[in-house]
Amino acid sequence: MLRMPGPSDARIATADRIAKAVLWVFTALAVVSTAGMLLFAAGGARASTLVPMKPQDAAGGTLLLKSNADGGTFAVPLLATDVEIRVAGLVARAVVRQRFRNPHPDWYEGIYVFPLPESAAVDHLRMRIGERLVEGEIREREAAKAAYERAKQSGQRATLLEQERPNIFTSSVANIGPGEEIEVELEYQQRLRYEQARYSLRFPMVVGPRYIPGTPDAALLGTGWAPGTDQVPDAARITPPVLRPGADVAPVNPVTLRVTLEAGVPLAAVESAFHPVQVRETSPSRREVVLEGGTYAARDFELAWTVAPDRAPRVAFFTERRGERHYALLMVMPPAGERIRASLPREVIFVIDTSGSMHGASILQAKEALELAVLRLGPRDRFNVIEFNSGASMLFTDARAATPETTAIATRWIRALRAQGGTEMAKAVGLALRGRERPDRVRQVIFLTDGAVGNEDALFRLIAERLGDSRLFTVGIGSAPNSHFMTKAAQAGRGTFTYIGKPEEVKQRMTELFAKLESPVLKNVRVEWPGGAQVESWPRPLPDLYLGEPVVVTAALARAEGEIVVSGMLGDAPWRAVVPVSAAPEGRGMGVLWARDKIAALMDSLRDNAPEPEIRAAVVDLALTHHLVTKYTSLIAVDRPPARPETVPLKSAALPTNLPDGWTYDAVFGELPQGATDARFDLLLGALLLAAALLAFGARRRLAA
Amino acid sequence: MRHAVVPYPDVALGVECAFPAPQRAFGGRERRARWVRGAATVLAAALLGAGLWQSGQGVYVHAKAALAQALMHRAWARTLAGEREVRPWSWADTWPVARLLVPELEVELFVLAGANGRAIAFGPGHVFGTPLPGETGNSVIGGHRDTHLAFLRDLEPGVEIIVERPDGARRRYRVDWMRVVDKREVWVLENEGPTRLTLITCYPFDALRAGGPLRYVVVARAT
Repeated sequence: MLRMPGPSDARIATADRIAKAVLWVFTALAVVSTAGMLLFAAGGARASTLVPMKPQDAAGGTLLLKSNADGGTFAVPLLATDVEIRVAGLVARAVVRQRFRNPHPDWYEGIYVFPLPESAAVDHLRMRIGERLVEGEIREREAAKAAYERAKQSGQRATLLEQERPNIFTSSVANIGPGEEIEVELEYQQRLRYEQARYSLRFPMVVGPRYIPGTPDAALLGTGWAPGTDQVPDAARITPPVLRPGADVAPVNPVTLRVTLEAGVPLAAVESAFHPVQVRETSPSRREVVLEGGTYAARDFELAWTVAPDRAPRVAFFTERRGERHYALLMVMPPAGERIRASLPREVIFVIDTSGSMHGASILQAKEALELAVLRLGPRDRFNVIEFNSGASMLFTDARAATPETTAIATRWIRALRAQGGTEMAKAVGLALRGRERPDRVRQVIFLTDGAVGNEDALFRLIAERLGDSRLFTVGIGSAPNSHFMTKAAQAGRGTFTYIGKPEEVKQRMTELFAKLESPVLKNVRVEWPGGAQVESWPRPLPDLYLGEPVVVTAALARAEGEIVVSGMLGDAPWRAVVPVSAAPEGRGMGVLWARDKIAALMDSLRDNAPEPEIRAAVVDLALTHHLVTKYTSLIAVDRPPARPETVPLKSAALPTNLPDGWTYDAVFGELPQGATDARFDLLLGALLLAAALLAFGARRRLAA
Repeated sequence: MRHAVVPYPDVALGVECAFPAPQRAFGGRERRARWVRGAATVLAAALLGAGLWQSGQGVYVHAKAALAQALMHRAWARTLAGEREVRPWSWADTWPVARLLVPELEVELFVLAGANGRAIAFGPGHVFGTPLPGETGNSVIGGHRDTHLAFLRDLEPGVEIIVERPDGARRRYRVDWMRVVDKREVWVLENEGPTRLTLITCYPFDALRAGGPLRYVVVARAT
């Protein structure tokens, strides 16, 4: 290093020392503040141990209870599950066999909480003891439970199957003798999911931690804070063993699974997303899929397949005769792949919520989504934008063609939007739905909002009244949009509901929605049944058919004759298909599908404040006729001869549930509201900065001296 | 090696790395001292500004939370007198829907319509789509763990919570259970089961920053 010798070398050295001192002070300050923050955080962690659990357990839904769930070991019956699923067209029928084995010298009761697909209609229960088979019968829930308790007390073998939530069931098996094996066989039926030219079938292998026995499921809340809370519903004395993450326990409940796929049309590709499978091709439209051995119930099974593409919508129709009635499943398949050439020009009305509740991330997401949407419009499309808060205002007085000029104006207008004021949604709905219908255009209203309104019911009525031939689509924005409003408004508007939860999702979700909206395959879908009024069909009303979606209708008919006419507008041309009823292939389980649809509609009406006793009576009636497990009905099988001598006590054990690999959460949309501010952090950081400022002023004074 | 090593007189080395930089490049020592002083002043001023701004933000959150609740008293009085959706200040996007009392902890809070970030800055918010507090079903209320709902950590089973409805009627609840859940566990919002109050806030209570995945849930059953 080169230094020029001079008289003021000493002064430089002083400045140097001071500068170094300042540097040291800041380094020390940084170290202290880091340590302080760590201590602060550690303090938080210490405080959280006041509750007897760790947060990582909490994420799994473990109880904050004074229960001694960890104390003692449990002698537990073992369980194995075999699943056989048959897929025919759009319907899957599954047989699930649960083998309860008791390796212990005592008599046991086994209780197992397990998931089934959300749309599953469970209609059969069989109990197999050695060679004997006992068929389950459907009863009202309370009656079934009472029968089970009676059988349990008198030493008879019995199985009870109850629905806890639409996708969570509990099977209880009473009186499994020492070393004995009891097989519980249940059957369910479901419709497959079909989107973007891809069918998928899902079998949930494990109840997510939130559903472990002991989760105070809303239906079980009755037992309250008492130690009974963390127990399965009907076994007050049992504390269910739960395989905790990290616990040194081998996985329980091995699963075998076999799927027979009969697509009806030639298949293109079949794949399993998460599990190794063997696929055997038995014919162009048929596959046998077997899950490879050694799989434990730790992750949901998903099988997806595509069929060879076709051009025009095809109509599929199956009927089933049960007693005096015929049940039918009608399916309109959209063509996959190629975009419809003659799609109708659209008139798109965007409505954006700029009320105060949208402030922050929500309005940014909404604006981004809206801008993307406007830029995607084609030159033949017309559009307008409406914003609403305390009032509603429109970008153009009437819908304009989407030219580069108009879209540029719209983009500037959108960018300038600010979120403030009230939420007067009715005005916006009025403006959006006042347009006159034009037969040569598809009119779509896209509503971007968090749905933070209190007068939902009035809005649903308004939408239904004014809808005409328009279609209303809701796009839910923000972390906690009002789901009830979103779904019901879309239903009233005969459109769909898209949920955007995270900023990163805006682009993908909006692109998907627009790809769909740009190609309405079939508009004004109508199904005319023979025999007119004698038909009861679901859903009501029928939605339009978009690219990648089939319309599926279930119906109950008085007579199976005549012709069904399915009609609609395909692009700008009328389209019509005639299906002779008598030619329909006989299918199985159409009645169950129809009943499940009707029950779902009835349960939905509860949310619209339909009187519960009436709905309950209607659901019980349907469920008893169609042998379905519902919220109000359970399946019960009792083996008449008593098995357990009265003098020998019965012990109970809930079966442990495996925790899923990772956390395969089936995106229930929405989250709980967030409840924290950065205030604490701001204050701490502020204090540190102020301290640093003081020090810097001190250093400056010394420098000046 | 991507960079070639260029032989260079050792004069140039060290100049860029030394701290403080050797005097050689500058004209006079006076100028340098003034420069250091100036820099220290700027730094101190910047730190002061940032510190004030940062603390101000923190103070603002608490001030807003407290002030809004004070303004709510009047709006609530008018609500009890029969008006609907009384906005506590004219540009508000929310209004009080219930008054929440916890006598044991001397807590009095006005519950606002909507549990969005905007509303809960001013008070705990009622989650739209769930029954209003005091009505039949599961009424869900969300709020900040460091302002209004900070008292949740002190709740124990059995503590009484009273809800006053807009019509003046009161309903009593007793804390049933508390637990920590993941924010995706939306079953907490379900309406089935007994009439109850579900209070939700962020967890852990002592976390410095907002935005964690955990929520603290307190459920109180109607008595």
